[in-house]
Amino acid sequence: MKRSLTTLSVLALLGVGAGLYFGITAPLDEFQGVFQKIMYVHVPSAWLAYLSFGVVLVAGIGYLATKKHSWDRVAASSAEMGVFFTGVALITGMLWGRPVWGAFWDWGDARLVLTALMFIVYLGYLALRRSISDPDTRARRAAVLGIIAFVQIPLVHFSVTWWRTLHQAPTLLRPETFEGMSSNTIDPAMLRALMINLGAFTLIYLSFMVTRVWIAQMTDEIEQREARENLEIAGAGITAPNLEGHAHA
Amino acid sequence: MSAREFWRQAFEIMRKDLKIEGRAGEVLAITVPFGAVALLLLPLAIGTEKSMLSRIGPGMFFAVTLLFGMLVAFRQSATEEPAQRELLTLLGIDPAATFVGRVIASSLLLLGFELVLTPLDIVLYNPDPVRGWGWLIVILVLVAFGLSLVGTLAGGVTAGLRTKSTLAPLIVAPLAVPLLIASSQVIEALRLDRSILNWIVLLIAMNLALTVAGVLTARPLEETSR
Repeated sequence: MKRSLTTLSVLALLGVGAGLYFGITAPLDEFQGVFQKIMYVHVPSAWLAYLSFGVVLVAGIGYLATKKHSWDRVAASSAEMGVFFTGVALITGMLWGRPVWGAFWDWGDARLVLTALMFIVYLGYLALRRSISDPDTRARRAAVLGIIAFVQIPLVHFSVTWWRTLHQAPTLLRPETFEGMSSNTIDPAMLRALMINLGAFTLIYLSFMVTRVWIAQMTDEIEQREARENLEIAGAGITAPNLEGHAHA
Repeated sequence: MSAREFWRQAFEIMRKDLKIEGRAGEVLAITVPFGAVALLLLPLAIGTEKSMLSRIGPGMFFAVTLLFGMLVAFRQSATEEPAQRELLTLLGIDPAATFVGRVIASSLLLLGFELVLTPLDIVLYNPDPVRGWGWLIVILVLVAFGLSLVGTLAGGVTAGLRTKSTLAPLIVAPLAVPLLIASSQVIEALRLDRSILNWIVLLIAMNLALTVAGVLTARPLEETSR
């Protein structure tokens, strides 16, 4: 466990270093200039947010099908990661929007608004988890909400093609082509930097996930041990013997 | 269980829910006036310029429906208390039938809520007339059904929690936004004489996805509520 975590962390650090190098050395965008480089953080964050919420969906279905709490720990950890990466995507998007669009926030951009709503939905998911103390109830209800919440993800992703608003249309995965990497709308050096950063962010996600799932497992074990220690051996109906021989009224 | 038995159970749950509403009058006496107050207050906050109010009138109607209509889905129900749930389990009622019955009852009440507020919105905001306004009926039905689905599901996951009154709206409001967007866009498309097919498809797809999710997760949710 510790060894795999160390390996993942080292790989993630190397990936971040490579991502920074290729991101900095990639050519400048003709129109956006240096601000385009924010995309090397923004796009991977947005993709990892989708991945995280996809994992919440799969883990929720896994829990409902098997009732194994390991699925629930994966769902909870991935939801936290998803909220984190959505937050990063929103903040970097706004930082990019200020110089390029002229405003941090634009109501005309469907994806920006829907991403903010997606952020709130998963904050609600985490709030629901915090509101329930019983592990079985928490796991089941969170699994159901994780499944329902995913309904909006395709809407967020395809919003830029369904509504022709301010947000840039997808550069890599266009619904009409599905050729992704072969798309020639992006400079090869920029594409390389973007893909390396995507890989680095995925490694960060994996190392965070392994750590968070491990912490969740430890927390569950401590809670179970405390519950066992606090259990009344003979039930509440049996009281301690009265050794002094005085009967209580 | 046969399909006939399933629908009989769902119909009974719906009938009980509507009967409770008939006695308590929660939607008619409280939620509808609450929504009407919202429609009255909004122009006082954003300005009373007639052309602006005509333009935003339909959008305001759907925003009020979303925000106040969710209270309809959270209202008192025939399947809410632990004792009621235990009785339904002992009687062998399918949790999916309970879910469907509750959704249909809430949809009918939400449709009533919308039908009362529609003329009020027209009187207060004087929205621009649009061609093909008959489509509005279809939109009202789809929005009522979608909001009822989201509300019932959120009510299910927050049932019995101390934080239900704040947590359930936090879940419903962002999840119901696609309904708000699609319904407002239909009005806009009708106004500009554009196709509304994509928005209708979006509403139907969302309702279908939520129905499938609700029916499939009804049993695990019901098991946590006892």
